[in-house]
Amino acid sequence: MDAIFDNLLLGFSVAFRPDVLVYAFLGCLVGTLVGMLPGIGPLAGISLLLPVTFGLDATKAIVMLAGIYYGSQYGGSTTSILMRIPGEAASVMTCIDGYAMARKGRAGAALAIAAVGSFIAGTFGVILLTLVAPPLASFALRFGPPEYTALLVLGLVFLAYMSTTSLVRTMIMAITGLLLGCIGIDVMSGHFRYSFDIKELGDGIGIVPVAVGLFGLGEILSTPSKSVVGKVMPPRFRELMPNRQEWRGSAMPIARGSVLGFMVGIVPGSAHIIASFLSYAVEKRVSKTPGEFGTGAVAGVAGPESANNAASTGAFVPMLALGLPTGPVTAVLMAALLIHGVPPGPQLVNEHPQVFWGFIASMYVGNLMLLALNLPLVGLFVRVLQIPYAYLYPLIIMFCIVGVYLVNSSIVDVWIMLIMGVVGYLLRKFEFDPAPLVLGLVIAPTFELSLRQSLVMSSGNWTIFFTRPIAAALFAVCGVLLTLAAVSYFGRRDWRERLAEAEAGEKP
Amino acid sequence: MDRRSFVVGSTAAAAALATGTAAAQEVYPSRAVTFINPFPPGGAADVVARPLASVLEPILKQPMVIETKAGAAGQVGAQFAAAAKPDGYTLLVHIVSISGFAEVDRLYGRPVKFTNDDFIPIARFIADPCVLITNEQQPYKTFKEFLDDVKKRPNDLVFSSSGLHGALHLPMALFMHAAGVQMKHLPTNGGGPALTALLGNNAQMLVSSIAAANAQRKAGKVRALACFGDKRAPAIPDVPTMKELGYDIEYYLWVGMFAPKGTPNSIITTMRDASRKAAADPKFAEAMTNLGQDVAYLDQPEFKAFWDADAKRVQEAVRLVGKV
Repeated sequence: MDAIFDNLLLGFSVAFRPDVLVYAFLGCLVGTLVGMLPGIGPLAGISLLLPVTFGLDATKAIVMLAGIYYGSQYGGSTTSILMRIPGEAASVMTCIDGYAMARKGRAGAALAIAAVGSFIAGTFGVILLTLVAPPLASFALRFGPPEYTALLVLGLVFLAYMSTTSLVRTMIMAITGLLLGCIGIDVMSGHFRYSFDIKELGDGIGIVPVAVGLFGLGEILSTPSKSVVGKVMPPRFRELMPNRQEWRGSAMPIARGSVLGFMVGIVPGSAHIIASFLSYAVEKRVSKTPGEFGTGAVAGVAGPESANNAASTGAFVPMLALGLPTGPVTAVLMAALLIHGVPPGPQLVNEHPQVFWGFIASMYVGNLMLLALNLPLVGLFVRVLQIPYAYLYPLIIMFCIVGVYLVNSSIVDVWIMLIMGVVGYLLRKFEFDPAPLVLGLVIAPTFELSLRQSLVMSSGNWTIFFTRPIAAALFAVCGVLLTLAAVSYFGRRDWRERLAEAEAGEKP
Repeated sequence: MDRRSFVVGSTAAAAALATGTAAAQEVYPSRAVTFINPFPPGGAADVVARPLASVLEPILKQPMVIETKAGAAGQVGAQFAAAAKPDGYTLLVHIVSISGFAEVDRLYGRPVKFTNDDFIPIARFIADPCVLITNEQQPYKTFKEFLDDVKKRPNDLVFSSSGLHGALHLPMALFMHAAGVQMKHLPTNGGGPALTALLGNNAQMLVSSIAAANAQRKAGKVRALACFGDKRAPAIPDVPTMKELGYDIEYYLWVGMFAPKGTPNSIITTMRDASRKAAADPKFAEAMTNLGQDVAYLDQPEFKAFWDADAKRVQEAVRLVGKV
């Protein structure tokens, strides 16, 4: 413990150097912007700025680039809440209740809670990263294909709880998402599936164009068919901040989101987008008023926004401790470290303590900066809603198209987004919730790959899923959840009600 | 200044002026040059292209832009570059797997999108021999121990790769064919996940680049058993080569620069000269050293010869893997 304290002291002595502070601030600022602009995610932001860092030393470079990464998790919530456009894939869940809150005039509160939740989760993640990175990292390595399959099955089971509409509608959406996720090259056999000779479809349908199309464009297209009165009042400052009830409603979701997000974040190959989906499902499941979700539940903003921040910090665990990137963003960060002559991996802490601890300490500082950066801006952002739709919406559509094109420089992605926009419009008209479709799309490729990888490992023997302890435990949780659901279905009594009663009874 | 040197000097100046005006009409490059990076950011081509671009900029006095066109394991970017206008403003940075796509398309009876003939090689910058590695949970200390064991239990051990017909799958296919052994294939979606699978003992063997595996090797998490270079690699001098062990196999993860077919010779020459200077730049060498690589620069003629031989190996490996 003393050793950690000494190391942190060393880290802060690096992080508080004025030049390092400047680069941390730059990273956080760029990250916030990148997070807000739909399409341009942290990946694009970091790779564009990578060459700029060549002249810097390794510490400054990684501090700035990492700032972009976790900063984007703060910024991503802004457009989700204000315009129902996920600024970043992990903010898809925030679109649902965040936007509903904004329609109720609580945009300021939602933004503030997202910022505070992100801060708490980010700091919590860094503390865990400081304390337990090496043992956690080796635990995460035990997540092979069978464990991953189990985790995703759990995700699918949770999906059933996510529905803001009926279960049947949720399932239709989820299955459509899973089917869309099957488009592309079959990774095991190399065959093209459903690609219609469009090479770009070989890698499947991207999440960003689908999410931006379904949520953002779909919303914009459906606006003219509703009578929109200038309903957004110029907010008074006191109304910008969450009220007591909202703070109380978000405390536990932030705590749960932080823990859950961090755990999902450290698993190699997983993504912060899954963390926010899981968090939303968990919040809905434990909520005493699940009916509120979809109509502006504060927990639906606080949980997922915390989870994606904790996950982005958790993702650093395998990268720093093992030298293994957990996703594309950490891969670029790793490449950046490599180019600067600092190979991440088991030796990093010993060989480059300045870089390692300076980086960790800068994340504490960076999270504070982001809070200071985002909270005062809440008032400014809310004013965006006062721009008349006639001017605002064409601008948003332009940002969506440019942003989506920039992700892969692919015109096919733009078409996908436009088609999904029309689909999103129709879904809204027929009261389908598009969120399960996006989750299905996220899960499908990884689910299929890990399922088939598992079966390669076991030569087609299905018992591999029950003989490995972590996988078996995860499947047991799935079993319990399904049994509970079945019991409540046949018992004609909602077990969630009973749970709520039981919980209420415990309190004096 | 005497009269004679004045005459010589002014003639030279006039000559310089003349070529100057001639060059002004067709000087290349007169605007930003785009390098297509066919892999996700941080991938094998990207980590070479970015330092390269930053040393090329002062040489060519134009911005060098890296455009990521990732997809289909590098095929999308290569196809894009092959179809680009051959004016020298769209170039491709690609790796060993560029030679395999046409063969894979033929294998599946798909129309061939492009072949190696659609590109003019300009220069090779690095060539990292691959290395056969196992994780610390396996008992093998030497190649022979591994070989004896894998022969005893065919199709029991699992090897991971960066993907079907990917850059890390092909050398294993060459080895398994040469040694007459069988292992199960666990494809993943990249070099990083392949290494993760090995470290988590979800796979027992992997052919990796030396650079990617070196940090884990130093930490004792993986052991190198055999190297795919034609001579021992400086980073792992005690690891025997496949040739020493009696297999005629060579395989490198190399990164080179290409122009679309039809690019004028003068432009190719300019780019070759610039590449030669860039490869000799200490800043580029330092960036490569940091990556665990040595600059293994080859100018066009040598690169062409190397590429032709390499393409034969890659195509053979694709055919060995066959249709799955």
